[in-house]
Amino acid sequence: MSVNGAFVRQAGAILAKDLKTEWRAREIFTSMFVFTVLVVVVFQFTIGSNPALIREVAAGVLWVALLFATVIGLQRAVQMEGEEDCLQGVLLAVQDRSALFLAKALANMIYLLVVSGCILPLFALWFRVDLTASLPALGVILALGIVGLSVLGTLFSLIVLNIRMREVMLPLLFLPVSVPLLIASVYATGDLIDGKTLADLRDYVILITVFDVVFLVLAVLIFDYVVEE
Amino acid sequence: MAGGEKKRHPLSLWPGWYATLTYVAMVAALWCIFVYAPTEKAQGIVQRIFYFHVSSAMTMFVAFFVVFVASIIYLWKHADWWDQTAMSAAELGVLFCTLVLITGPIWGRPIWGVWWTWDPTLTLTLVLWLIYVAYLMLRADATDPRRARFAAVLGIVGFIDVPLIRWSIEKWRNLHPEPVVVQSGGTTGLPPAMMLTFLVSLAAFLLLFVFLLRQRMAVARRRHELEVLRHKVDEALFG
Repeated sequence: MSVNGAFVRQAGAILAKDLKTEWRAREIFTSMFVFTVLVVVVFQFTIGSNPALIREVAAGVLWVALLFATVIGLQRAVQMEGEEDCLQGVLLAVQDRSALFLAKALANMIYLLVVSGCILPLFALWFRVDLTASLPALGVILALGIVGLSVLGTLFSLIVLNIRMREVMLPLLFLPVSVPLLIASVYATGDLIDGKTLADLRDYVILITVFDVVFLVLAVLIFDYVVEE
Repeated sequence: MAGGEKKRHPLSLWPGWYATLTYVAMVAALWCIFVYAPTEKAQGIVQRIFYFHVSSAMTMFVAFFVVFVASIIYLWKHADWWDQTAMSAAELGVLFCTLVLITGPIWGRPIWGVWWTWDPTLTLTLVLWLIYVAYLMLRADATDPRRARFAAVLGIVGFIDVPLIRWSIEKWRNLHPEPVVVQSGGTTGLPPAMMLTFLVSLAAFLLLFVFLLRQRMAVARRRHELEVLRHKVDEALFG
């Protein structure tokens, strides 16, 4: 796991390849974004028209949408890697396999950040929450949460790559383990909507950061065993 | 396994006396719980489920800890024995976890007035159940050797997640009674007779766990041997 020039270059090359493919096809982003919009809209229908209630559940709906979007995006990404054994080719090319993991996780982070950037205006509009004051703080929470979702999701998506029923197994593995991240992110976002500042959310920020760091380190350590033939 | 029947390992007598010990401990635990232990004043007879509930919970944590340790060693050493240990312990962990989730509400209904609340300990147990059921589903198709490795990764990730889940849910809500067996400062809130009953039932549960673990691992080993044999037969016939 030497972080040297070759490592960064290889991770960068894989990331650039993934982003270029995605830029041409726009498949992953489109499915993630449309799905997120759909989740937010469907929740609107089920919650009803009580403005206080809508405000109360807004943060939860946003994170549930992002969580499902992660699963949708990763499923598509993994499906593309599975075709023609693409992943094996990439694995043969890299020196250090964790470069592949980091590139994949980074790609997913970028998709999720773009998706949340696009969904936030719609979210503010439909849920009638004013996000302008808390936008920088919300950005921090979103970024930290997205790091955790991407790291954990990428690890599990590469696990299910080669197994039967992978569409079912990915959420089954991913959702329960991401519970701590989800709880902390939802309550931090809810507090921000209620007008609190980032300083009031210290505990949540620490929790999300610890979650990110623990699973990033763990994933890099055990990733070799996941892709080993 | 040719000749395996003749050379009996000294430890092959182990299951016999161990099973006897487990049986005696379980009967003793039942006697302690229903005859020896006094009835709790405030909660009445339903408090006796505590001995099953907390013992199952502790056995569950022991089981998931075994999964965690065995998974690490399996990834490191690649020995099938550790994989069989992890899988067998995971199955038993889910079993005891299910017992916890059943006995908890039976106690909660008369004492709290509700079958279920989203308090940290209950929620943690439920999330653990979901994680390890996913582990078993991941393992369901045992023919793929990579599955064992994937499951080991989940066994490690799942256990490391426990303190994080606990931490996050504690920030969320809190209702579960404070631990009575060991309170802060190292004292206990249990009267001696109840404490003794609890220790006996905990011992019985742990003995039962180890007994079942060994049985389950023997099945896993036989199954593995069968697959190896089948593979050899296939090779000899069509190879």
